Amino acid sequence: MFIGYINVPGDIGPTAQALEAKVPKAGFDEAKRLQGTLLKRYLESLWAGAAAGRKFAYTFVMGNPIELLSAFGIVPVFPEVTCLNISYRGGAPGLIAASEEEGYSTDACGYVKMGVGAALKGGQTPIGNIPRPDILLLNYSGCQIYIHWWEQLHYLTGAPIYTVDVPYIREYDGRVPPHDIDYVVGQLKELIPDLEKATGSPFDEEALREAIDRSREAWDLWRQCLETGTLRPTPFDAYFESIYYMSPITLLRGTAECVDFYRFLLDELHRRHEAGVGPTKDEKFRIIFEGVPNYPYFKSFWDLFKKWDARCVASTYPKVAGMVDSGSFRLDPGRPLESLAEYMIHAYCNLNMIGRVGLLERYVKDYQADGMIIHAIKSCRSFSMGHGDIREHFAKELDVPTLLIESDHVDPRYYSEAQMRNRVDAFFETLALRKRR
Amino acid sequence: MGAYSVGIDAGSTYTKGVLLDAQRTIVGTAVQMTGVNIVAAANNVYRAVLQEAGVAEGDVGCLVGTGYGRYNIKFGHVQITEISCHAKGASFLFPATHTVLDMGGQDTKAIRTNERGEVVDFCMNDKCAAGTGRFIEGSARALGLSLKEVGDLSLRSNRAVQVSSTCAVFAESETLELLAWGHSLEDILYGVHSSIATRAIGLLQRVGIEPELAFTGGVSLNRGMVRCLEEQLGVKLNTSERTMFCGAIGAALFGLERMEQEVAAPPVRA
Repeated sequence: MFIGYINVPGDIGPTAQALEAKVPKAGFDEAKRLQGTLLKRYLESLWAGAAAGRKFAYTFVMGNPIELLSAFGIVPVFPEVTCLNISYRGGAPGLIAASEEEGYSTDACGYVKMGVGAALKGGQTPIGNIPRPDILLLNYSGCQIYIHWWEQLHYLTGAPIYTVDVPYIREYDGRVPPHDIDYVVGQLKELIPDLEKATGSPFDEEALREAIDRSREAWDLWRQCLETGTLRPTPFDAYFESIYYMSPITLLRGTAECVDFYRFLLDELHRRHEAGVGPTKDEKFRIIFEGVPNYPYFKSFWDLFKKWDARCVASTYPKVAGMVDSGSFRLDPGRPLESLAEYMIHAYCNLNMIGRVGLLERYVKDYQADGMIIHAIKSCRSFSMGHGDIREHFAKELDVPTLLIESDHVDPRYYSEAQMRNRVDAFFETLALRKRR
Repeated sequence: MGAYSVGIDAGSTYTKGVLLDAQRTIVGTAVQMTGVNIVAAANNVYRAVLQEAGVAEGDVGCLVGTGYGRYNIKFGHVQITEISCHAKGASFLFPATHTVLDMGGQDTKAIRTNERGEVVDFCMNDKCAAGTGRFIEGSARALGLSLKEVGDLSLRSNRAVQVSSTCAVFAESETLELLAWGHSLEDILYGVHSSIATRAIGLLQRVGIEPELAFTGGVSLNRGMVRCLEEQLGVKLNTSERTMFCGAIGAALFGLERMEQEVAAPPVRA
């Protein structure tokens, strides 16, 4: 009775055989391998640093001044990044359980619970031993829960908390008043003697300028990489692949390795484009992605989109480390603390809701997207707040097909693949019918 | 190539099958509990629709699987989600449809459609069975009643008891507690149906309610549910004894379209 498994022109979805066919290896995929090597080296540097008696500062991904820390030889540790890596490797439940046994609610943030769980276990995690903090740099104050995370770590480790209160971007057009920048600069200046005291080293301003200059170069290259998403077809997935690619700009900013990585990546993306190679067999749908990814099921989550030959052309998540593509900041060795303050303010999560919607509207237009996916997470209400309203705004007022799905970024208990697949499949069927019209 | 098209909707609770002839006439329908063996249920339903219509397997040109178990229907040609299929099926049964509410065993879907029965927008319940058929099932089980009985009994009440739980699991214990407080069975059941209707209308509002409204899925057979939705919405819902089969009807229609497309542009044989 079979009439053939090959798709016919009117089909709105892939056939069984199309699903079974393997996506050919993209090739041109060396940057991801390089990222893996850099991440491994970063983790090894933590262990080597611990053995050498170096100082460690725990800091948040959003708006941190690691260039300033590096000028004192302080090694930054990013509990968010270690948590997501542990979750990616399937190790989240043990650390979450450790916190929940202490009394943390199932509804509390998964990052916080994993981070506290790791501290309760003396830094022992499935990806190795994470050194104890000497300094807790509370640089992101947009999330109340994060403040308590550092407070809890202070109780558990005794490390002092240094706060840099970063003001929220309150203006709808994204403008930041000069006194906000002065406010952050003032706090950075106050932080310098504290860091001198903590390390016993004098502040080396030249080292800061050099780090800032290397950061600037890396940001410029990363921005160019992200902008290749405007090409048709896009040579990379600006969400699922960016999750890998954004790691050096987060962990290694201010280093030569970081600059080299983005130079390599930009070249690879150009080569991909010239050869017509991309992350999926074809580019049938161009989508915008908003929200934090699902790390425990990252690859199968991505497969739900790959199956439809959907490529993300722009996304907001990689901008939590800095909204580099909005031209809102540019590091400048000539004004190191001022430009660092500007950078620290311009983290995506620091942007008001109107500004976020404006950025997404620009992405839809500039990147010629067919639709938008919003992935809300149970853990983070500050990131997911307003997602329902954003969906309605795009779907009803702008006629941009928009799908809202929900799970969690680290806690595997909130992910149900069958339900997720149903929603994603239905969304792309709708897009396929829309394209046919 | 055969002229008939089959749609099989392997849902979380029931598996439904529909056989359409080339003129888009429904010539066979079948339903059975999905149970643990989705493939067997799908196969049984497939055989049953063929038998009902007296059609041989060789006369089937296309078989489309839909519902949660669609990927298990390996003997089918295409898998399409029940969201697209319910939209198409509802539009087939009620051509003026612009909004569809599909209430099944574990999912409730609000779908906005265009005049061709294509999905324009949709919203589904969160990863939670509150506001779905499972919620009614839990209350029915707690009260030792069948699904048909709970709907009919609720119609006898004019005073709904507030059911505050939003959780399908807790709804069972809340139902028993309300009984212990002395509320009548009918009033509690009216409350259960009202509570689900409120949640479903919340979903509908997210996609925007545009008349006419079709109510599909297994729960559309529940008269108590229809009453509560119509009361709260203030409009009449389109339902029939066939709305339970909407997903399978839509799937079979997609199959027919595929067959017509194939005649126009024959695909390369696998």
